[in-house]
Amino acid sequence: MSDPTLPACEPNPTSTLLEEPGVLVAKKHHLLVRWSHWLNVPILLGLILSGISIYWASPVYQHKPDPNTGSLDVAADIGIWMCSHVPGLHHYSSPPDWVYNHMSLGPGMLAVALRLHWFCAYSFMLNGMLYLAGLFMGGGWRSLLPRRTDLFDALRMLRYYVGVPFAKLMRRKWLHPRFNTKYNALQRAAYFSVPVAGCLSVATGWAIHKPMQLHWLAAIFGGYNAARVWHFWVMWVYILFVVPHVILIFADGWDTLRSMIVGWSTRVKRAEFIANEP
Amino acid sequence: MNHEESHKPAAQGALESAAAEETPSPVPRVEYSESAVDLVLQTQICQEEDQAVPLPQFDSPETTETEELQIGRDEMPLSLVVREPESSGSTPSVTAEPVPAPKANSFFREQNPQMIEVAPHVLRHWTRRDVLFFGAGALATLAGGSSLLPQATLERLGIVHGNKTWPKKEWLLNKALRIDDDVAEALYSENRRVPTYTKSQITPLKNNYNGATPDPGYVSGWNLTMDGLDSGLSISLNIRNLMARFSVLEQITRLVCVEGWSAIAWWAGLRFEDLLHAYPPMSRAKWARVESSVNLDESGNPDPYFMSIDLETARHPQTLLATHFNGQPLTVDHGAPLRLLVPVKLGLKNVKAITKITYSADEPRDYWAERRYSHYDGI
Repeated sequence: MSDPTLPACEPNPTSTLLEEPGVLVAKKHHLLVRWSHWLNVPILLGLILSGISIYWASPVYQHKPDPNTGSLDVAADIGIWMCSHVPGLHHYSSPPDWVYNHMSLGPGMLAVALRLHWFCAYSFMLNGMLYLAGLFMGGGWRSLLPRRTDLFDALRMLRYYVGVPFAKLMRRKWLHPRFNTKYNALQRAAYFSVPVAGCLSVATGWAIHKPMQLHWLAAIFGGYNAARVWHFWVMWVYILFVVPHVILIFADGWDTLRSMIVGWSTRVKRAEFIANEP
Repeated sequence: MNHEESHKPAAQGALESAAAEETPSPVPRVEYSESAVDLVLQTQICQEEDQAVPLPQFDSPETTETEELQIGRDEMPLSLVVREPESSGSTPSVTAEPVPAPKANSFFREQNPQMIEVAPHVLRHWTRRDVLFFGAGALATLAGGSSLLPQATLERLGIVHGNKTWPKKEWLLNKALRIDDDVAEALYSENRRVPTYTKSQITPLKNNYNGATPDPGYVSGWNLTMDGLDSGLSISLNIRNLMARFSVLEQITRLVCVEGWSAIAWWAGLRFEDLLHAYPPMSRAKWARVESSVNLDESGNPDPYFMSIDLETARHPQTLLATHFNGQPLTVDHGAPLRLLVPVKLGLKNVKAITKITYSADEPRDYWAERRYSHYDGI
């Protein structure tokens, strides 16, 4: 994006610009990491919507027909429960379909959902390669690697998050633990687990898409049916990641959100810049 | 107070405060000031041309002298890192402790971020440019992405009303489907066998006739007709001819439905390949159309079922024309008296109660492909 066509011109020592104080910015995310990050939003949304439509055709979690409701499937049970207990849903026309109607493309769309799922899945794999290329070209992969101190540091972060509401209520100072790394241990665990989940999604996806030609892959996950279960639960990793991710990004402020758009941050720790002997 | 506040002052006036507050440390200072001056000069050069060309080391693979200096700074051992002065007074012990210095220059060690100094108006320009570009991209993706959603979904979301269709809407999704079919075809190998199972692993297989199950009356007058043969003849065989002529193989394989469910079942039948040997198709033939004229729709009206299969797959050693299920002759539920069993394809290619096989050079029509499923369906 930043084109390196630097104009060939002579430096002008009489310029007044030198007197303007500069802003120090730190490079945070490689261009490819930023692009692939944002592309994941529509791709994962498409994958989940179409994926639930595909799940609907043959739910993984089924049981014997319920004597009262005739329901066969856990998602239908949840819909029935919600429509009888949640105010405002009492008159919903088809309670067993509530969950599916709100999390999928809509009823009777297996063929459409499959082609959308393949389109998004190939996009997801290409996008994942862009992301990995950006991680390695920008050196960002080093910040994601788990460390030996992560367990202790994660507990410190959890303690901080648990304490924040109380500190706010008591109007007390409650300092964010400080780390000399790009991410704290919880962030690192989260940001490391998403590419891992991506690889698992792709691997389990291929295992259930080509269970005959790639039967060894299905066998790694415990066979065709087990691979379907894996594929289903890996989806929840993204959902469980995205919710706190979005909340915390907004809580953290514009600089953090902006850094995923523009690539740099003005939150520069001088400690990283000016070094001293302790 | 959160850490955002604590870092902001550092970002704004890092240069001056660095010079004023910090204890003197000649070595890094020299290094820093050199590169900073260099960078400011670079920034200034850009400004002379009245266009904010980004600094070369920012997202750019080009290297300059300044970049080398920065890399030099990046490699400073972590043990040199100190905490920020403004937080040193109020920070409790839990918030800051010196990180034990890992091995310097380790390949896996996190490196300090690259830093550059930018004139504020250049930074504003970059921000505006990138955020506008991002916004335009987001809007384009929203429009493009939602146009890929099915019409019914868009209507449910209240985005479109009535029967609006985009002529090119399906192009991209059809393309993805074709690519996926090509991938499946590339994965297929005539030599790769599908897993087989033991009798204890057999699972129930439901009658999955898409419409009504046909009346058993058709079985007594059943014939298999073959067209598109090398001989130019049209040949009809009844089940006794078939059973007498061909040897019967058994296999316990998994049948996988496009819906996601599957069943392990015990089949027996003749190899499709043996039929192809006995009644060779015309030399140009690459496809077979396998048809069931006894298929019914949901209301019980005739709804002939026809399906395309490539001859490569038909020749797979585990592709059977099945006559038996669980050790018994096929019941009407499972396609008596002869059904296709092709475990390397989705269940929808496993035509029940085959009445006709037609060989052709061109890809024949396919019942489910006409209902927007894929053509090849290899698994």
